[in-house]
Order: sequence, then structure tokens, then C-alpha cells
Amino acid sequence: MKLSDLKQRTASEILAAFGRDGAAAKSAETLEKMGLPSKKTEAYRYGDIEAVLEMDLTIASEPKPAEILPSVQLIITDGVVTHAPASVKLGYSKAIPADQGHFDPLYHLGHVASPGVWEIEIQDEVYLHIIHRFTKPTSLIPYRLAVHVTPGSHAAVYEQFIDTGATGSLVLYGYDLFVGRDATLKMVKNQTLDSGSYQMVASHRCEVGSAATLDLATFDFGSASALQMMQIALGAHAHVEASHLLYASGSAKRGTVSKILHIGEGSTSNQQAKSILGEKARGIFDALIKVEHSARYTKAHQNSKAILLESGAYMASRPQLEIYIDELEASHGSTTGQLDGKQLFYLQSRGISAVEAKRMLIQAFANELIDAVDGEMIREILHRDFDEAFYGQTRVECIETCHGCEEVVLNEGV
Amino acid sequence: MSNMMEIKDLQAKIGDKKILNGLNLTLEKGKVHAIMGPNGAGKSTLSKAIVGHYDIEVLGGEILYRGENIVDKEPEERALDGIFLSFQHPVEVAGVNNAYFLRTAVNAKRRHEGKDELNAAEFLREMKKQVETLGMKPDMISRSLNEGFSGGEKKRNEILQMQMLQPDMIVLDEIDSGLDIDALRAVSEGINSMKDGERSFLVITHYSRILDYIKPDYIHVLKDGKIVHTGGPELVAQLEEEGYESLGEA
Ligand SMILES: Nc1ncnc2c1ncn2[C@@H]1O[C@H](COP(=O)(O)OP(=O)(O)OP(=O)(O)O)[C@@H](O)[C@H]1O
Ligand SMILES: [Mg+2]
Repeated sequence: MKLSDLKQRTASEILAAFGRDGAAAKSAETLEKMGLPSKKTEAYRYGDIEAVLEMDLTIASEPKPAEILPSVQLIITDGVVTHAPASVKLGYSKAIPADQGHFDPLYHLGHVASPGVWEIEIQDEVYLHIIHRFTKPTSLIPYRLAVHVTPGSHAAVYEQFIDTGATGSLVLYGYDLFVGRDATLKMVKNQTLDSGSYQMVASHRCEVGSAATLDLATFDFGSASALQMMQIALGAHAHVEASHLLYASGSAKRGTVSKILHIGEGSTSNQQAKSILGEKARGIFDALIKVEHSARYTKAHQNSKAILLESGAYMASRPQLEIYIDELEASHGSTTGQLDGKQLFYLQSRGISAVEAKRMLIQAFANELIDAVDGEMIREILHRDFDEAFYGQTRVECIETCHGCEEVVLNEGV
Repeated sequence: MSNMMEIKDLQAKIGDKKILNGLNLTLEKGKVHAIMGPNGAGKSTLSKAIVGHYDIEVLGGEILYRGENIVDKEPEERALDGIFLSFQHPVEVAGVNNAYFLRTAVNAKRRHEGKDELNAAEFLREMKKQVETLGMKPDMISRSLNEGFSGGEKKRNEILQMQMLQPDMIVLDEIDSGLDIDALRAVSEGINSMKDGERSFLVITHYSRILDYIKPDYIHVLKDGKIVHTGGPELVAQLEEEGYESLGEA
């Protein structure tokens, strides 16, 4: 099928196209009202959604598997959980109450097209490593998670994506994330995606409960097109810290479209995007922060910095603030440019080649977000994956990423 | 040959402003040359021309380094061949670890000289030693290059780079500005420790104090983009007394 076949269809026809019963009816109705996205849809103006809707695909989703094997990681293969750790409570529902106010039509499509929703409950001290595996070529792979972080708990999620043969497939993934009152969730997403692989539109919704914190760091590298859409709602005194590092090359159209909604009083947000764009890549950071009447004493900060490595590269950066109150502190900014000539010269004047000096500065630009991630292991993986995407090989120097030797040497004779 | 560098009739501009107007200067091997001169005379411009800064366009003349004209050489080639400039205003490079930066530079030079590269531990041991000698805080090893360093700390970091890179032609642009008394002594000792009868030094300064420590062999006065006077160390006292106005064209 082609997703474009669903244009102008009624809700019940859309449900029928995916063999769904009434459980996802609300989402189908919302989708019918919004219509499928086109070039003219706000959220998709910088992507290439029409080409995505024209992909000729076989629906790959299967019902729930007979057996889920125990494992250290949660492994999801082509949208089906195949392995799960004992530390999380896992369930499967036909549908969950989706957010009918979500800005993204494909969020609603995801809820209709996914055969069900994997429900994951995360409790205190849990560290969950999710591996998303894709194996089927030219398939439509729709699936969704609902992640509940129990109130008061402190947990972390690390998401990794692996392609083993999903060439030409379209993945419609997304989670509905609920961070309970007073809870903290640190979430890291690491996705290298190169052309010749699958494409992905991930569409998320996050509800951050009162006095809860969501710390979301996304790392997107490679030459394939992909979008992450996210709507994040903040309760009273809730906080979101979102950072997005993008390295895109080739003719990728890649990036983040987000809406952060300040609903509760005293909620705070800080969103930072850094993009490095090579060749003919287009980076996207289309991000709205909306402060509702109810959200007095809000703090909202947003910033985008991009480096264009080649003249064909382009950054579509639109940080936006929409504010309905006076009592708040807010800022936003956006810069796009080349590497700093003075810094380059300084390195070269010490005998470092122009090529190497550029690499060092690009790495420095990226390192700020990588080094802010918790956990030595994850940081090393992110450094390695960035290097692999950027240089086509690993060239992590021990001195940059690990301070092991440094500590040994510095403590010698002390 | 006893000359490290010969600058002949050097003409250079920045943007559309001509700054160096036929500058002649010979720097002898193993000697310390000091340059003094009023603000805006072109001292930093000269130092940047020597290392090949992109701001400076050389319009004429030559810079012979060990007999070879280097005017068209890339900055990194000049550095690898042993030319070093301690900048008047070193730039901050956020996110580049100081030790990683300096090891990359040291190893680039070692490769260029056909030597084995130093591994992280070997390098850090050496760096730590120099950091201690210079009285720098140990955390400067792992901090970002010059980021948030005080003025004096940046200058010490320049000297640290000089000591690790072991260059042959050393240009110091106001290394003494903004240094406290202890720092001035530490930096001067660092410079003196590099004197080996072969290396040449070009010390740009406004003050006699550093010259008390590092004992120049020659004093040159740079004014309006030219060397207008050259003399021995006794010239310093005269300049302090009478200022630059007293000196006519040499
Ligand atoms: N990037 C630039 N663009 C325009 N003019 C410049 C630039 N850099 C230097 N100049 C000008 O060139 C002249 C010489 O500057 P230079 O920095 O060489 O002086 P200096 O002798 O080092 O002075 P100081 O003692 O104050 O350090 C000055 O008039 C300065 O304003
Ligand atoms: Mg100067």
C-alpha cells in the first residue's frame, strides 16, 4: 500500500485499511479531520513528506508474539517486543487514550496503524536499554509504546536503533510518555541512519507531571531523511531539558519538530539544538514553546546553533515562542554559520593541519551535548557513533573521552 | 649561516590599510631580540605576518627563515618547521581539551620530524611536569583550551605550548602584559630555559621589566610599520626616559 491512498478516506475506511476495530476509532476520527500531511502542513514544511507518503510498502506489523524472552535489554524487532528485562512491567493494549490535541497527523496515524500499544512501566532506579531492530525490507512498520514512569521514581532510558535489512522501509514509531509526579526520567536516543536504509517518522507525546523532570537528549547522525516530532506538556513546576545533536550529510532532510506546552504554573523548559550539516543536507529545528494562561512564572529558553560545512547545506531553524502571560522569563535564539576562523588559525599556528583543525572544532561543537549525557559508557558510544558518521571510521582518542590515564598520570607521586 | 630570520622590505596590509611599510629586520641565531614601539605601530601585525595569519596580506618583500622565503607557506607548515608565536590575545576554544589539543600539535611536529608519536600517558607526564614548573593549576590540563582562563593563565598556557613544542624561532607578543609578579618570573624562567645558543627570540613588549629577566641582545624600535632604530640593551633605559618621539629615522 501507499499511505497516500488514505487521503480523503473516512475514519472507518482508515481503520479498515489497517484491519483495526473500534479501539483506535478516536484517533482515526482525528486523522480524518486533520487529513494526511502534505507540503502545506506546518509541521512538515521542511521535510519531504509527499515522497514518504508515496512509498510503496507492505504492512509488516504482526500481532503480539507468543513468547517474550528474558534479556538485559528490551528488544523490539520490527515493532514487536521479542525480549524484555525483568526490571520493567510490560503489557500490551489494543489502544491507549491518545492525545487528540497532538499537532502531528502522523501521531494519530501511528495510533491507528499500530496493531496495539506496548505498555511499559518503569519504576525507581530502573535503567532501561531499548534496542529497536528493523529487519524487513520495503515494509510499513508502525508501532507505539506507552511508557509510564511511576511517581517519585528516578529512571533512565537509552534508545538505540539497528538496521539489519530494512532497506526501503518506513517506520512509524512513537511513544506516549508519562512522567509521574516528582519523578525524573533521563532519556537518550541515539540513531545513526544512512541513505539506503529505512526512513523514519517518529511522533512522540510526553506528559511531564507536576514537579517532574524529563531530560531528553537526542542524537541523530547520518545521510538518510528522518523526522522526530514531539509534543511535550508540562504540569505545575515540571521541567524539561531537551537537547538535540544532529549531524546530517548527503541529501538528508533531518531534524526535530517540537511543541513544548507550558500548562502548569512555574514550569520550566530549556531546549537546545546543535546541527552540523554537510554536503546537501537540510537540518530542521522547527520548535514552538507555548506558554498558556495557566502557566504563570514560567521559564522557557530555546536555542539553535548550526554549522554549515558545505555551500549546499542548509539549516531550517525556527525557534518560536507563543506567550499568553506577562509573568515569565523567556529567551530564544538561532545562529547559523561556519567554523570560527580565529580558532582554526590558532590550531594551525601550532602545526595542526587545516583538515585536522576543522575536525577538532566540529568535534568540540558536538562534544558539548555528548559530554552532558550521564554515564561514561553511553558517552563513549555516542562519541564513537558520531565519529563513525562523521569520519566514516572510529577515531576516538582515549584522552578525549576517558579521563582514566589522565587521572593515573595526574595522581602519580601524589 | 648565523641568521635565523631575515625580513626584507616587508610590505603588508590588513583589509585596505597598509600597516608594514618596508620593514627590515635580521634575527640572529641564539640571540634575543626585543621590539618596542608605540601602540598601533604594527608590532602584532609583524608577528602575525611571520606566522602567516589570514588577516595579513603581504604586498611585497620577503621573510627568509633559515634562508628560505616563507611568505607563501601555510601557517601549519611554518609551525612544523619550528616557528612559534605566543599571541597577544590567545583565543578561547570551547570544547577542545587542552591536553588533547597540545598532544595533537606535539605529535604533528614529531611526525614531521620523523619521530615516534607520544602516547597519552607519556605526553601527560611531560605536560604535567611543565605545568608544575610554570606554576599553573593542574586542572588546566583537562579544561577546554583557554576557555575561561584569566589573562595571565592564557599567557602561561602559551609558554606551556612553547615548551612542549620546542620551536626554534620564538615570537612573543606582549607575553608580559597582565602578568602578576610571580607569573612574570615563572614565564621569564620558562623562556630562559629555552635558550640554548641556537634558538632565536623576538620579544615584543612595552615594559623593561621582562627584559631585566630575559636579557635581550638587541633592541629594535618599530614605528609606523618600520624598524626605525636598533641598539643594544642600553636603549631600554633611554626609551623609558625619553619615549619614542625622541627617536628619529634610523
Ligand atoms: N583586523 C584589523 N582590521 C583593521 N585594522 C587592523 C586590524 N588589525 C590591526 N589593525 C590596525 O593595524 C595597526 C597596527 O596594529 P598592531 O596590532 O600591529 O599594533 P601593535 O603595534 O601591536 O599595537 P599594540 O602595542 O597596541 O599591541 C593598528 O592601527 C590597528 O588598528
Ligand atoms: Mg600588539
